[in-house]
Amino acid sequence: MSHKKRKMETDEVVADLPITPMLDMSFQLLSFFIMTFHPTATEGQIAMTLPPAVEGGGSSNPDITAEQPKKYVVRVAANEVGQIAQMTFREEGSPDDGGENLGADINVFRAKIKALSTAERKRIDAAAAKQSKIPPPKLTLELGDKLLQEYVIGLFDAAVQADFSDIAPVPIAKDKR
Amino acid sequence: MSHGSTDKCEPNMTPLLDLVLQLVMFFMISANFVMEQTSVEVKLPDAISAKPLDQSVDQVIFLNINAKGQVLLPPVDREGDNDTLDNPAQVEGYMKRRAAAEKIKTRKDKPESTLILRIDKLCPFEKSYPIMKACRSAGFSNVQLRAYRFSGQEG
Repeated sequence: MSHKKRKMETDEVVADLPITPMLDMSFQLLSFFIMTFHPTATEGQIAMTLPPAVEGGGSSNPDITAEQPKKYVVRVAANEVGQIAQMTFREEGSPDDGGENLGADINVFRAKIKALSTAERKRIDAAAAKQSKIPPPKLTLELGDKLLQEYVIGLFDAAVQADFSDIAPVPIAKDKR
Repeated sequence: MSHGSTDKCEPNMTPLLDLVLQLVMFFMISANFVMEQTSVEVKLPDAISAKPLDQSVDQVIFLNINAKGQVLLPPVDREGDNDTLDNPAQVEGYMKRRAAAEKIKTRKDKPESTLILRIDKLCPFEKSYPIMKACRSAGFSNVQLRAYRFSGQEG
């Protein structure tokens, strides 16, 4: 009887999964991911408008009865190192050809177009109340050749924040457009 | 000396393994895999108003433009051994070929892909504008500028 009992005891199989190698491997994987983890800044887009190929292009048969959008032009001259040297603002078709000098501070440009956008929105809302529709204003950025993309994006960024949706960059020299 | 007890004294490794595997999974999921169409060589400027890509846009073409104004072609878009387009004429030819291929595929008159320009922050406008012009000549009209999304306070 005791012999039988002892035999039963020795036949018992204990299932033992070796966890240690798995843990070693997991630690190696973990250290690999920790070392290669490099959080990068997320990217986003700003919509831009490509200007028409021909000066004065667009619709070949424009509707002259329709309300035309206001067109603002900001000329941005660049210095030798590609920074903003001077900005001038004008409304297309206005008698003041020289335009308003905004200096080289992008915050002045930001404040100017914000004010314009607010005024334009009021005009659009007033027209909407009279069942009339005014298209959103257009902004053309005439940019100096040396101006770096960093500043181009800065100007776009300020314009988008001021609710402009139609922003077109062009070179200052008309023959390069 | 007593030989009565033979109990093993082992720490329980299972919770530790669970935790480690969860950490591994976290790092695997959050790892930034290199996008096939973008180039790490291009350092983008920051913009507060940059928005993430609209999910409804299904056809996107990336153009990576370095500080010298060269277009860097990703491996998936390379034609032969040439991995850069050095002048606007080459860019125009390349974009026209892409537009023609898309028009055949979609059977439409104009390419409707969204063109995303990843322009290096040190690229001067005189180098980037001819590329924009080349894209316009090829028939692309939906163009967006890429920037790092910056969420800092306004000055």
